Amino acid sequence: MLKLQGEDEAAQLAPRRARVPVPRPTAPDVSPSSARLGLACLLLLLLLTLPARVDTSWWYIGALGARVICDNIPGLVSRQRQLCQRYPDIMRSVGEGAREWIRECQHQFRHHRWNCTTLDRDHTVFGRAMLRSSREAAFVYAISSAGVVHAITRACSQGELSVCSCDPYTRGRHHDQRGDFDWGGCSDNIHYGVRFAKAFVDAKEKRLKDARALMNLHNNRCGRTAVRRFLKLECKCHGVSGSCTLRTCWRALSDFRRTGDYLRRRYDGAVQVTATQDGANFTAARQGYRHATRTDLVYFDNSPDYCVLDKAAGSLGTAGRVCSKTSKGTDGCEIMCCGRGYDTTRVTRVTQCECKFHWCCAVRCKECRNTVDVHTCKAPKKAEWLDQT
Amino acid sequence: MWVAWSARTAALALLLGALHGAPTRGQEYDYYGWQAEPLHGRSYSKPPQCLDIPADLPLCHTVGYKRMRLPNLLEHESLAEVKQQASSWLPLLAKRCHSDTQVFLCSLFAPVCLDRPIYPCRSLCEAARAGCAPLMEAYGFPWPEMLHCHKFPLDNDLCIAVQFGHLPATAPPVTKICAQCEMEHSADGLMEQMCSSDFVVKMRIKEIKIDNGDRKLIGAQKKKKLLKAGPLKRKDTKKLVLHMKNGASCPCPQLDNLTGSFLVMGRKVEGQLLLTAVYRWDKKNKEMKFAVKFMFSYPCSLYYPFFYGAAEPH
Repeated sequence: MLKLQGEDEAAQLAPRRARVPVPRPTAPDVSPSSARLGLACLLLLLLLTLPARVDTSWWYIGALGARVICDNIPGLVSRQRQLCQRYPDIMRSVGEGAREWIRECQHQFRHHRWNCTTLDRDHTVFGRAMLRSSREAAFVYAISSAGVVHAITRACSQGELSVCSCDPYTRGRHHDQRGDFDWGGCSDNIHYGVRFAKAFVDAKEKRLKDARALMNLHNNRCGRTAVRRFLKLECKCHGVSGSCTLRTCWRALSDFRRTGDYLRRRYDGAVQVTATQDGANFTAARQGYRHATRTDLVYFDNSPDYCVLDKAAGSLGTAGRVCSKTSKGTDGCEIMCCGRGYDTTRVTRVTQCECKFHWCCAVRCKECRNTVDVHTCKAPKKAEWLDQT
Repeated sequence: MWVAWSARTAALALLLGALHGAPTRGQEYDYYGWQAEPLHGRSYSKPPQCLDIPADLPLCHTVGYKRMRLPNLLEHESLAEVKQQASSWLPLLAKRCHSDTQVFLCSLFAPVCLDRPIYPCRSLCEAARAGCAPLMEAYGFPWPEMLHCHKFPLDNDLCIAVQFGHLPATAPPVTKICAQCEMEHSADGLMEQMCSSDFVVKMRIKEIKIDNGDRKLIGAQKKKKLLKAGPLKRKDTKKLVLHMKNGASCPCPQLDNLTGSFLVMGRKVEGQLLLTAVYRWDKKNKEMKFAVKFMFSYPCSLYYPFFYGAAEPH
């Protein structure tokens, strides 16, 4: 049985609305008789999703660049706005961090139908995709939370923030399997990053005490914990003549890619759950399903297939996406294009090649021209009918 | 259809969950050296900058290019750090143990500033190590970890290969004198040697034995005076045995005749006493007299070189 930290807070949560997963066929049927059925399902979905919650989020902070003005972010709740106004330099780091975790999300899903595309000038950032309590929403909440931890911790170490600096408690003499060393340099202050990220990111979910908020709180914490897993020891040898008899070591964050890779694996193994009656915990969604642990991502609803443009479901479709003719994975044309076929375009690319270093001192390269075929997914037929919806 | 799809999803989730259920936990260590990523160490460190090699970085000021990259390829982050760590290597350069020693060391300490970092090739490292490691070992210093050759890329078009090592020798090869037997003549030079040695002793030598590649000097029981004790205890001086590392097959004029006393300097390394310098004791030598008398008044530098020796070939 999963219990969130802070039982007082969890006890106050109560499910406002029970969500029922809507089954979707794996191959969409566009015959006229099914069109009416699809329309009915669409209307039902709209009814289920529309009143769920406010759809804006603090994620929009990444779009504002250096001009982080707290009142310009429509998705902030009052607690977040207070933190924003009080710590403007931290908000700048959070904004830069947002661009990084979105880029990481798009890297992790670059070969998938849903590829973490953001919508320009849209306050929701991801459109309606995040309204569904799907596996994809679980990943985005986790990686956004991780991104905030990473951005703040890094800014602390680089001296960009006045309220924090290097970890003040990591000092003195210590040892590892290679021998003794002194703590020195600048150990990353991940404790501060985690505490601030929790206060800022979780603020909204603690006001909306429903099952979806519980899911978000869980996935946010998964993201924060993931960054801590990749804190490593870095050392410098500065004994006589570079020997390792004298070492100075510090703790450092790993590249954010490692956190992204880890959360992607958690996404692949995410656990479908439902909220318990008292709304304080999760239980397995079906008999025989695995129970969620504190390191699992959790979700309630199955995902759409993301094949066609479906604004209500937050699906952009795969028309025009680049695919691989030879791959049998999710980036292969058969899967990416949902069986609709693909177009081929011939493209010539100019790259540097055969680079050589010459003493002393220059790197000289040649220019190579490569002609490659680029395959893109066809648009679905009967596009006119879909546009009418 | 729905049930089958759901069952497959559940099975996949279970399998993936099992695979990732117990991820490996372990502390990781990053020791600096060549890495595959263009940026190593902190991925979010400040971008590298390009600056003139300063005149007070004598290790690299004459290397052949004028601008260097900072942080360098040894992760030194400031010029002060580069200068401090590079100063240890000047005496090795002066020994001319390999014609590409400077190219190799400076490719790491003061790497050339281009649009990408250029590392020394493994063959350049191995050539420099082959030429210089025996000399360093003679003074009790192993080839340092930060210069281990496996850290550097196998030879390719984008690394620095051997540059001058292929040229024929400018002079006919002669048997080099043992490193420990090269002599300083000034009081300052002697005191520098005393700084870099752990102990200094005036003693007589009973006999010399050959032990693998080393020479072993067996001290006589009598007429022994500890001038600088360092790590030596009283019991250590009872029976002094000094090792001349890699000294078995090189000439040492001072030791051709064992009569009389010797001024001996050495280091204690892992319980073994290594000879770093040996002189015939000469009471008429004013420079030696001055050095012995004022040894402890000499301002030894904080990061003294691991050895101090004459640069001129004999």
